[in-house]
Amino acid sequence: MNLDSMRRYPHDEVVDAVVIGTGAGGAPLLARLAAAGLKVVALEAGPNFDPARFAFDETLADEIYWTEERLSGGTTPEAFGGNNSGTGVGGSTLHWGAFIPRADQRDLRLQTETGEGIDWPLDYEELKPFYERVERFIGASGPGAYPWDPERSYPLPPVLRNGPAQIMTRACEAVGIRSADAPVAAVSRDFAQEGGGIRKACVNCGFCHQGCRNGAKASMDVTYLPLAVAHGAEIRPMSRAHGTARDGMGRITAVTYRQDGTEHRQRCAAVFLCAGAVETPRLLLHLGLANGSGQVGRNYMGHVATQVWGTFEGEVRMNRGYPSSLISEDMIRPADADFAGGYLMQSLGVLPVTFGNTVARGRGLWGRPLVKYLDRYNHLAGIGINGETLPCDANVLTLSDERDAFGVPKAHISFGYGTNENRLNDHATRTMTAIWEAAGATDIWVAQRVAHTLGTCRMGRDGDTAVVDPFGRSFEVPNLWISDGSTFPSSLAANPALTIMALSLRTAEAFLKSR
Amino acid sequence: MFCLHYLGGSACEWEGVRRHLEPNVVAVPFDLPGFGTAVDSSCTSVEGMAGVIADRIAAMAPSRWWIAGHSMGAKVALAIARRAEDGDRKLQGFEGLVLLAGSPPSPEPMSDDKRRDMIAWISADEDTRLRKAGEFIDQNTGVPLDPSAKAEAVADVLRAAPKAWIAWLEAGSREDWCRRIGILRSPALVLSGSEDTDLGPAAQVCLMLPHLAKARHAVLEGAGHLLPIERPETVANLIREMVGDPAEALSEGQRLPDAYGALIDSSRVNTRLRDTLHARAAYHGRAYHPSALDAVELSILRGLVDRILPEETGFHKDIGDRIEARLAGGTGDGWRFAELPPDTQAYSAALRIVDAAARAAHEVGFVALADEAKDALIVALATGRLPIAEGAFDGGEMAKWFEDLRSDAVRTYLAHPAALARLGFSGIGAGGDDVSDLPGFSEMRVGVREPWEPAAEMENVR
Repeated sequence: MNLDSMRRYPHDEVVDAVVIGTGAGGAPLLARLAAAGLKVVALEAGPNFDPARFAFDETLADEIYWTEERLSGGTTPEAFGGNNSGTGVGGSTLHWGAFIPRADQRDLRLQTETGEGIDWPLDYEELKPFYERVERFIGASGPGAYPWDPERSYPLPPVLRNGPAQIMTRACEAVGIRSADAPVAAVSRDFAQEGGGIRKACVNCGFCHQGCRNGAKASMDVTYLPLAVAHGAEIRPMSRAHGTARDGMGRITAVTYRQDGTEHRQRCAAVFLCAGAVETPRLLLHLGLANGSGQVGRNYMGHVATQVWGTFEGEVRMNRGYPSSLISEDMIRPADADFAGGYLMQSLGVLPVTFGNTVARGRGLWGRPLVKYLDRYNHLAGIGINGETLPCDANVLTLSDERDAFGVPKAHISFGYGTNENRLNDHATRTMTAIWEAAGATDIWVAQRVAHTLGTCRMGRDGDTAVVDPFGRSFEVPNLWISDGSTFPSSLAANPALTIMALSLRTAEAFLKSR
Repeated sequence: MFCLHYLGGSACEWEGVRRHLEPNVVAVPFDLPGFGTAVDSSCTSVEGMAGVIADRIAAMAPSRWWIAGHSMGAKVALAIARRAEDGDRKLQGFEGLVLLAGSPPSPEPMSDDKRRDMIAWISADEDTRLRKAGEFIDQNTGVPLDPSAKAEAVADVLRAAPKAWIAWLEAGSREDWCRRIGILRSPALVLSGSEDTDLGPAAQVCLMLPHLAKARHAVLEGAGHLLPIERPETVANLIREMVGDPAEALSEGQRLPDAYGALIDSSRVNTRLRDTLHARAAYHGRAYHPSALDAVELSILRGLVDRILPEETGFHKDIGDRIEARLAGGTGDGWRFAELPPDTQAYSAALRIVDAAARAAHEVGFVALADEAKDALIVALATGRLPIAEGAFDGGEMAKWFEDLRSDAVRTYLAHPAALARLGFSGIGAGGDDVSDLPGFSEMRVGVREPWEPAAEMENVR
């Protein structure tokens, strides 16, 4: 994004806030604080990209993925990098799928409902106005009437249904499952972005995960960040935060970071840590900060994100169009569930390298069967889920013995499904297989997958059992706030980015009120 | 053609080859330090022998020359070739090498018993020496030599300075030059005898060819280890062919299908992507220099990749090289299995374990196995049942590593424009350089193509 004329702050000026990370957690609050007249500086570990350089290529897109190594262990090791972690001004929203269901209100009270998991320390009615603000601001596309929430409508009409979505629509009808155009953070027509210019309508290129070239997708660098800069925020790319200075009261007085090989220290009155559910706890653990509860790194969660694939007679060409253009929330609480929570389903179009990786790892093919199967690319389509993962003691992020180029220990994430996840997964596999059978798919197979990074700095009402309060403020370090997926007490069935943005605005309002 | 002899030989062993090479190729055999008439046996390391020979070549200042090495002499020839390719001014004019039953850059495969026995008898009493030298020659030939040839060979062995003989067995043959030699780009002729026990075809495939970017490997059926003595005429003919037309060993890339090439060059494809696809399509032959793995490990990697993505996709011969380049560049995909060490370490160890499993089951390295045997081994590898005598990983960890390898191979494959052409992938055509006017896609219906969209190669035969 264009940062040429942004305001700049000297290092020795005590700015009102330093925001670490410019993704879905950092960008909305950066914009809100700047709009309120605060002096704010954002530190972004990655480069500042011109979206025009994104090239419709999966391998060239490595530049927007967080490819520094993480160690993935446990019984269901999760893939990181392009699967869920980004870098650059805009963070992971540069490559996110832009699939933006809201959380189901029952998911926020899962423990009350089922005795499993944990309740959020806030309810849906508190989140709803923030959801609406975000959807309006970024230009969410979706159905005029949302089947699972009669009150909801989206500001822009839906994006086109691609091949897999059309197949899934008919098959869902056949098996009696409701489906609808997905809520999508890509503008279905030209959109005048508040704080920015015109965002061109989505051209159905299919490369959301490789960086949107024309601004149709609501990455932070074309939405909240231009607004933040317009209101006087400074964004420093290639700036890797790695330490803090603190006063006798334990308050953070400065953030230290490295930019282009040089050490800097930005003085500040408050810090917002928005680096995601791996880098946020990693930094806190490394610094020994805000962890009196012992909860930092605990209850790591990835979503159950199993996919079912099939071959179709006609050419589907699943690379065309917005990749996940159909949703079903019918399984948020399946009638015959033997598990707590639920899952939502989406149609899937996936590009060759990503798909090939899924096949090579998940289907175990090699040799001629592998090549023959990949040859069918234009005839394939999938369905996937995003399913509840309960917080669990065994799922934890710790620091490994290995250090990265900055001398910080690499993160070790241990993650595995428990009984609830396995039961949910079995149910979802049966459901999706039935849908794909009804669709007339042949050679149906199941790809196990874990998605997103959540938990590790849970919010709660009590500093003994939580890292931050319901507004993201540290119980221990009074001028430290956390805003990213790490504060989620439970995973929710919904894909997390929209909720992270809504919480980010809510955190900003709470911070402004607290001053 | 400068010629270097085997352990126990001398310049004399080349006499037959020399006669058959005339008049097209002039053979200049040397005695290595400690053998033949070169009684000075102080320079018996590979480095030392190479230094002595390099000086003698430099003294003759030939304008064009090749070097041939037999067994022990091959390792010295490799060291000289490396110096020549690195630009040693004394060695200008070097054009290629011939390796006959060559001792490879890696430590030579030889049993401890055999090594001990050979060290013992070379310093024994005269009767034992005579008897053992005769046995030595017999053991190293496919069929017995005629009496006069055998007598000359035995006489050569008995002339060898025991100190030099022992030095080779104890040290020279065990020196590890694998990384120093790397991969030589000069044309090379590799000859092996089908009856050679230690340095036959399998050893040449596993340990010698990995170091040669442009090699022709010929197996002499029925021959043992003493190729210049056993088959002087065949050896001379093969050398003459090679020296006359070394270009034959060059490999070639594969062209993209015309229609897909035209799409890449059209305005629907942006410049950055077009340049990238052209770069990926370029094939640089076998002259890739690994820097994370050694050359032998790279050849095992190539062998595995060839089975993961078999022959019909012949354009991607360099996928193993590209994986190696990724390892060398230190870039990854953001995570690794916690049980495995960092990628380069994991690859190096795992490839050696695969090779050891091949040797345990079939007595030859992985790359020398028939496809069926390779595949059987891969089945065991993929299912966590690879028999592992010793090594850094257990079967389960090897299966995880193999998952990583499959992923690396497939992702590299599907980034290649020829693979995208094969799939009929239209995504590259979503738009050119003008981001305010990207065509994208407007046709979403199943079974309906936009007019410009490429068809998969298999669609053409549907």
